Amino acid sequence: MSALRLDGVTLDIDGKVLFQPLSFSVEPGNVTSVVGPSGSGKSSLLAYLCGILPKEIQGRGAVYAGDKQLTDLATERRALGLLFQDSLLFPHLSVGGNLLFGLRAKQSRAARRQRVNEALASVGLEGFADRDPATLSGGQKSRVALLRVLLAEPRALLLDEPFSALDDDSRARVRSLVFAEAQRLGLPTLLVTHDMEDVAAAGGDVIELRHPQDKQGI
Amino acid sequence: MLRKPPIIILLCVSVIPTSAGVLAALWSGLDPAALTRVLATPGVGLSIASSIWSGVIATGVSLLLAHLAVALAASGGWRARLNGFALPLLAMPHLAMGIGLALLLAPSGVLLRAVSPWATGFDLPPDWLIVQDPAALSLILGLILKETCFLIMALMAALAQVPSAELQLQARALGYGPLKAWLAVTAPLLQRQIRLPLAAVLVFGIGNVELAIPLGPGLPPTFSVMLWHWFTNPDPLINAQAYAGTVLLLLATTTTLAFMAAANTLLTRLLRRTAESGRRRSHDGFARGVARSVLIVGWSTGILAIAAILLRSAAGPWRFPALLPGGDWLSRWLDVLPVAGSVAATTIGLAVATALCGLLLVLPAAERCRRDRRTRAIVGAWLFVPLLVPQMTFLFGMQVLLVRLHLDGRIVAVLWSHLIFALPYLWGLLAPARATIDPRYQSVAATLGATPLRTWFTVTAPLLARSTLLAFALAFSVSVALYLPTLFAGAGRFATAATEAAASAGSGNLRLASVHGLLLAVLPLTVFALAYTTNSLLFRNRRGIPR
Repeated sequence: MSALRLDGVTLDIDGKVLFQPLSFSVEPGNVTSVVGPSGSGKSSLLAYLCGILPKEIQGRGAVYAGDKQLTDLATERRALGLLFQDSLLFPHLSVGGNLLFGLRAKQSRAARRQRVNEALASVGLEGFADRDPATLSGGQKSRVALLRVLLAEPRALLLDEPFSALDDDSRARVRSLVFAEAQRLGLPTLLVTHDMEDVAAAGGDVIELRHPQDKQGI
Repeated sequence: MLRKPPIIILLCVSVIPTSAGVLAALWSGLDPAALTRVLATPGVGLSIASSIWSGVIATGVSLLLAHLAVALAASGGWRARLNGFALPLLAMPHLAMGIGLALLLAPSGVLLRAVSPWATGFDLPPDWLIVQDPAALSLILGLILKETCFLIMALMAALAQVPSAELQLQARALGYGPLKAWLAVTAPLLQRQIRLPLAAVLVFGIGNVELAIPLGPGLPPTFSVMLWHWFTNPDPLINAQAYAGTVLLLLATTTTLAFMAAANTLLTRLLRRTAESGRRRSHDGFARGVARSVLIVGWSTGILAIAAILLRSAAGPWRFPALLPGGDWLSRWLDVLPVAGSVAATTIGLAVATALCGLLLVLPAAERCRRDRRTRAIVGAWLFVPLLVPQMTFLFGMQVLLVRLHLDGRIVAVLWSHLIFALPYLWGLLAPARATIDPRYQSVAATLGATPLRTWFTVTAPLLARSTLLAFALAFSVSVALYLPTLFAGAGRFATAATEAAASAGSGNLRLASVHGLLLAVLPLTVFALAYTTNSLLFRNRRGIPR
């Protein structure tokens, strides 16, 4: 895996700049946290990196995975794995169906199913393939959402407050699972959060989003 | 909006023929000689008056009943079931309802048979003018039965935009009775939202022939029926009268619409004043009981009308006081099967084609304005225009144009005319359904590497499947029910259940009318039943999909 690098990335709404240009890189296996007050454009930053920014917001600056420029590619060709606050499992597909949707490997049907079952077993959800996602607990949904992203073989992992909707108990467990998987696969990971526990658990660099007008920060 | 081809195509399909039709109707209708002849026709004033009278009274009563039904359902906790009650009457085409009511209420009808001779002493049908009465009361009844259901659906759709449950609870907590709470708090908010459907009800009430042929007064008939007779007359002079008359119909309709808009403002002010009076009306049990009884009687009448069609179509000669037709039912149905079979095939083919073309036009356009509420409303309003102009006016005009273009009597012309009427309903159902799908599902699919096309087929389409099935059933039913468009655009060459039923009802042959009426009633009901069954089977193991 290669590093995720941002070069002069900034966003603006109707000509108003949300934060000063960001340039930094995240090494494979590291987790960099982005913090800032709500409305500072944290989530929009991830949306820009993925190419799913709403029309009202304009973004500038380049994103690289290693030497590959991603900004000009369509969302589906960037291969950046994004985890939202809600798990957003497709409600019309089974748990296994959701994972098969994510799984990139071109193999036989049986082999693909096998991969999915192994993945489920690896996070303690053995035999969940045929379940309706709506019947899962919050922590279980998060784990499935994580697997769905990982099976799509992303170049990097982008986390948009993915633990904040979980109860205290499962938050810690899901968080350590996500970070462990990122490290195991050597994925550069960018975490957007307002939870200082998340930042501490991530252990990597911390980037604070500041409005261009506040010279002193928060 | 103008840079999105699917939206432009959708609007063109509806707006171009409608506006061209109205212009052509004005062009060929503004003929002083013909207008003079129309105005000199004996009874024409009375005829126009009875059209307006039946339209206005039916609209007012339907609006009141629809509000009462929704209020009772909302406060009684059976709001979810109200749609189920309204659906069979809503799905039933106007013509079928007209024929059914005529069969039910006539002196020789099912209702009097049920109580004769033991209660009435009648051994022969009495000489009463119940159906086709000069005051148009039976016509008004027919309109009320249909339009109340239509307005209930419109109100239920509008309810989704209003925090009605909270408002209702708040008013109840302040000591107001359920009915008063509804009329003072929720009704004024809904009233704003259903202006277009309400206007459509009035326009249809004034200009319809579907109910006026079997139920409307005879001498003189309502104005639209008079025009219909003139139009089907081979004499070109009388034909010209039809074109001139349709301009008068347009004038009468727009004038009444303007009055209704003023009345609507007045009504809203009145409701506000009752709200400010502070009277609680907390003991409204009696009023609610009356409202409930009226609604139940009305609903049962509609259902009995369907049953009356079934009985009459199975009967040959049917001696008066007997309630059930004697003889061999099955063989009578088998007798008419060859004729009814080919009519059914044409009707179904046209309806399926209309629904499919409509979906192909509406789905891409709904996709394009899923994030833009304003554009959705504007497109919806434009598509609604054909329901706000008397059908006769722009269909006469369209027919003139089709003849010029040598397209009259072609399947394309008929299909197009049906589409014009199906599109507003398809849009009303599918545009909001598409907009409520969480846009982040698409983002997720894209970040997982799915192309936009694959995302549409694997994520959006399945999530829209339920609404799409209902929309299909709705468009199918609209097409089955259409009479005038099939007649005019088809130049009389397409025999559908609606054209055959209207023709036989117009010539007074209720037995034949009931056979086609049965087809008219059964087709939409079957398709709706199929749509609902499929919907309940579809994704039945997936609780996350909204029903």
